[in-house]
Amino acid sequence: MKDELAKRLVQGLKDAGINFVTYLPETRLSQIVPLIQNDPEMELIAAASEQEAVAIAAGATLGGKQAAVYMENTGIYVSSYSLLTIGKQLGVPILLVVGYLGGVPDQRNSFLYSTIGTHTIPTLEALGIEHMLLNDGDKLEINISDAVRAANAQRAPFALLFAGEFSV
Amino acid sequence: MIRHECLELLAGKMTDQLVVTSQSGQRIEWSHLSQHEGNLLVGMMGCAVGVGIGLALALPHRKVIVLDSDGSVLLSLFNLATLGNLRPKNLIIYVFDNGVYSGSRISYPTATAGNTDLEAVARGAGIKNARTIRDIETFKGEGLGALKQNELAFFVCKVEESLMHREIPRPNTDLAENKYTFVRYLERTEGKAIPFIGRG
Repeated sequence: MKDELAKRLVQGLKDAGINFVTYLPETRLSQIVPLIQNDPEMELIAAASEQEAVAIAAGATLGGKQAAVYMENTGIYVSSYSLLTIGKQLGVPILLVVGYLGGVPDQRNSFLYSTIGTHTIPTLEALGIEHMLLNDGDKLEINISDAVRAANAQRAPFALLFAGEFSV
Repeated sequence: MIRHECLELLAGKMTDQLVVTSQSGQRIEWSHLSQHEGNLLVGMMGCAVGVGIGLALALPHRKVIVLDSDGSVLLSLFNLATLGNLRPKNLIIYVFDNGVYSGSRISYPTATAGNTDLEAVARGAGIKNARTIRDIETFKGEGLGALKQNELAFFVCKVEESLMHREIPRPNTDLAENKYTFVRYLERTEGKAIPFIGRG
């Protein structure tokens, strides 16, 4: 991802009200980590598993933060239990910022990732989690803002899947 | 030591703390002992510590208490590594370790009935103030004393298996109702709106 796109992504999160981010780093979007870490208006919390990243974000949301979880799409599988029980059943809005490996628009797709990618959207749908696929920076800020508004309105996680130009 | 007697003592100390429980016997017993609006009765195993960490980080001036079980902690051991590095000073975790999956009704042993020592795991994960409590006097002293300290505390409370939670009526507050009561309590006591609520 070009540095400019990473900066726009983080600024878009901030403009949408995100001030608390839990994460496990991955390859496609990792440039956003130092940008968030160096931003005094955002709190960045490293987790050891996406399952707890979701639970920590949920606790922070209930405590008054507007939280996001940054993860690889493999993290959707790892965190599906907390996404369903805390996210959906308890009803806590969380923005999921997902590096979408192995999907058709993933510019670094290979045999290593394609199975992971193929099952991502069906898994989100099975969990009842709405998603939006972003392949370029067109309307990036608007899309992030729309996703946060939808998550809050639905009292549920909402996934932004980043591929295409974001996966270069 | 019986879990219910520990919870009874703890309930007597509650003022404005926030209490998160996982899904197991202590959720039922705590809901019976305390109807405080600052209780969040999380209805699943393995998520209470994570939610408690998030609350503690979002509200660093509030004391956050997690009531958990050995089965739940074993389900999410990665929490200990995260806790050992974050060390939120306003968080206390009481793990009521009865060595069995009591909720299963067959009470088969957990790993802590065998070779696993949760205090040692917690210490190895970086939680300096991890202690095992084996009797009610120590719970009264060290366990409840942590409420006045400003340090992450992780107590493994070794309790006998008790089936009291099966005799107590389960809470009739559903998860969403509990969540909104909790959030409205926070709004009132913190004097600010919780952003995701919004206006309809």
